[in-house]
Order: sequence, then structure tokens, then C-alpha cells
Amino acid sequence: MNISTLGSARATSSNLNGMSELLRQAVVEVRSGESGSGAGIIWGGAGLVVTNAHCVRRGAPLQVGDAGKWRGAQALAYHPQHDLALLAAPSISGPLLEIRDPESLRAGELVFAFGHPLGVRDALAMGVLHAVARDGRTKYPRWIVADVRLAPGNSGGPLVDAEGRLVGINSMVVNGLGVAVPAGLVQQFVERALSQRAA
Amino acid sequence: MSPSKPGSASTTLAELSSQLAAAVETASNFIVAIHARRRIPSSGIVWRDGVIVSASHTVKRDDETPVTLPNGETTTATIVGRDSATDLIALRVKGAKSHIAPRADADAVRVGSLVLAVGRPGRDVAASFGIISAIGEGWRTWQGARIDRVLRLDVAVYDGFSGGPLVDASGAVLGLNNSALARGTPMALPGAAVDRVVDELLERGHVRRPFIGVAVQPVALSVSLVKQHELTRDTALLIVSVADGSPADKAGIFVGDVLLEGDGKALSRPTDLLDVLSTIRSGDSIKLKYLRGGAVKSGSVTPSDRGGRE
Repeated sequence: MNISTLGSARATSSNLNGMSELLRQAVVEVRSGESGSGAGIIWGGAGLVVTNAHCVRRGAPLQVGDAGKWRGAQALAYHPQHDLALLAAPSISGPLLEIRDPESLRAGELVFAFGHPLGVRDALAMGVLHAVARDGRTKYPRWIVADVRLAPGNSGGPLVDAEGRLVGINSMVVNGLGVAVPAGLVQQFVERALSQRAA
Repeated sequence: MSPSKPGSASTTLAELSSQLAAAVETASNFIVAIHARRRIPSSGIVWRDGVIVSASHTVKRDDETPVTLPNGETTTATIVGRDSATDLIALRVKGAKSHIAPRADADAVRVGSLVLAVGRPGRDVAASFGIISAIGEGWRTWQGARIDRVLRLDVAVYDGFSGGPLVDASGAVLGLNNSALARGTPMALPGAAVDRVVDELLERGHVRRPFIGVAVQPVALSVSLVKQHELTRDTALLIVSVADGSPADKAGIFVGDVLLEGDGKALSRPTDLLDVLSTIRSGDSIKLKYLRGGAVKSGSVTPSDRGGRE
């Protein structure tokens, strides 16, 4: 490696700080009933939150927390196969995250997970892309697998690339590897859910 | 959605990210998948022209072994030899042309160096990332092989990664990853150690490991014995078994003898005996000094080569 690129550990570190700041603004806590919480991503700039379906207990009162303030939210749609849920949270807003095309992902590139692992709020974890797992039939990206340390509380939070683009939504841990739903599938899910509601 | 980026300083991070991905791409040109066990295939490195190395424990067959080459072609490899002490195996593939793994300068590796573990646990390569957490000097595997330097990793070595390379940020090979050799803790055998084993495997199909055929246990010697015989140490090695027909048996060593010295070096731990054995050349003998019935005796033993019958 070119030493000057890594710059100095300090330059990388200040980048990570910027990364953390961006994600802090884009991520909320999701709480449903009395159970533990997960993370969620503010979608489309305002009013919507995407999280994992398994973070939302059906029928239980739903709240999203942003900077320590809790607000009520409603579930708009679920996609159990992709483990996704779309929530309406009218008074909430955050930055727009660009979507990263999973076809352009390369094993070994840096990825970052943001969430609230084991209740620790706004924690950033760094790792590398491990592989893109494809659907056996359609060959479309089905899961993004990353060598990044996740824990309960990361569920529903973002996995982003080195430029802060959304790679996926962290959903589970398999054999120690983080597994995320590709951002493209999330986008499709949201678009379908909204058009069905509009119709 | 319109883009939003974490500040202008993000270029450093993006460059690092793309260099890491490029390193994995470079490495993917010399990593093969070896299909010789159930479930997940293991990884192998194209070490020399037509020669693949991998972790021996992952290759659970001794005949023709299917191998997926970096270009996606599948071919068969034949096993050249194994060394269970370092858990290495060498295989030969015919015909297929692949890149030979470029080697990194091993002396440049330091604790804290950024490294990637790359494997081919299927058709595509996969990667994990971390740092060298420690460098062990003079480490001995539980099977008895002595390795000058071993790289301890703060890098996850996932299923199918054993036998694959540990690479630096340019994609050059630092070592061969193994999750089994150090009982589950991720480590890598440095390239130089792999080279030594591969040389021997190519030459004679196994690695020579001189043995004399005894089992020993350290015992404390009484103060009077130490004084009487002017010994330098107060522990020595009690012979607890002698294999029939072994070099020790032929040299007249009995169970109950206590080894004091080998070639003039004090023997107080079992590894001392292994150290003496590993320094001699094939056919040479070792001068032994031992206690029998309270008297110091001397004799010599000519180790034989165990490597071929592991």
C-alpha cells in the first residue's frame, strides 16, 4: 500500500468521524412494545423509516427515537421474506443516503455498520465486504455478506460503503458474518409499498 | 435519492477502500477452491508453476482432487505430499495456467500491519480484514514442527478460508492461513516456512523428521545426584516408553533411563530433545548422556526418518 494514501491514521480517523456523524443523523432507534430495540434508517429525507420486520412486534405500540426523543410511528408495510418493514414517522427527518449498486461491490472494500449494538447507542463498526450472495434461481443479489462485527441492536441499521452510500440493511449474523438486505431490494420494497398505498 | 457524502475528507477512506478491494482482486488470480471435503470447499494458493499449496486438514482425500481455478475452470489435481506437522499439503495441477502468487517481503510485517485474509469458499473469492496481532518467534506446533515465525491474526478466518493466503494491502502473500493449527485461533504460516516444506514435498513427497522412538517425561533429580555427577540442571527426561525396533531400541536405551544430555546440550524439557533432533542432518548420530541405576552412561543413537509414515 502507498503509505501516503492511508495518509496517516489520523486522516482516516477524521474521515470515520465524518462517517459516524452522517450516519448518526440518518439512523433512529426503533422500539416496539417493551421488547429490546433495533435501528432504523430515515428514508427519503423525512417522514419514513425503514427497519427490519423482526424489530417490529405486530400490534405493539411503535416508537422511533432520534437524539433521545421518542415519537410515535405507524407500520405501513412488511416484507417478511426480505425481513423489511416500512414505518411512517411524520415528524422525523434526516439526510438522504445514496444507494450503492450491489453489482459494483467488490470483495475487500471497506464497509461500515451503524446501530445500537446491545443497547449502545450510535455505534460504528468497520469491516470489509465478504461476498454478495445471489438468489439461486434469479441470480440477483439476495444478501450482502460482510466481515463486520454486529450484535442485537444493529438490526435494521445501515451498512454503507467508504463514501457513505447505502449498501444494505443489517439483518442477521451467520457464522460470525454480518448479513444485510441489499439496498436495491429495500428501495423496491419502499416504492411498491408506497405505490400500493397511493392506488 | 440524491447523494450525500460524509464531508470532503472522505477521499482518503474511499481510496483505502478501493485499494483493499484491488488487493483482493489481485489475490483472486492465484486462489483456487479445493473440493475435497463435505459442505464448503477449502482454499489453495498457486505457489509455483503447476503447484498448489493448502491446509492439509481440509483435504480429506488422497486421490485425484477436483480444483476450481481462478478463471472458473474445474480441473483435477494430484497430491504431491503432506506434512501433518505444519498441516501443509502440496498438489500438482496439469495444463492450467494460473498466476503464481507474488510474495510480500516478510521482514516488513509488523504487529499492527493491515492484512486481508482471502479465500475461495465456492466459485467467488471472499475476504476478511484486520491486523497482525502478534508475531510468535520459535513456535512449535502441537504435532512437533518448529516454526521460526508465526503470524497471529486479528482477522476472522472463516469456513473455507484455511489454506488461502494472508495478503498485504497490495495483494502480495504474507502467509498461508490456518484456523486448525493453533487450535482455533487464527494464524498464518509465513511464506518462508511454506517454501521450506514445499521444497521437501516436491523433492521426496514428505518432510523428514528425525525420530529416535522414545516417549519422555521431565523428572526432578535429587540434590545429591546433581552434586555427585556435577550436573548443570536439576531436571532431566525419564524414558517412559521405547518403540520396538526404533533407533533408541537398537541403541540399547531402556525404559527407566533418564536422559541428561544430547550432543552436549542439557535435556530438561521434551522440547529440548526435539530441538536437538531438528538440528542434525540425515544419517548423523546423537551422543547421549543418561542415568541408569544411579550411574552416568553414554551412548549414541542414529535417528531415522519418520516423515514417510505419518
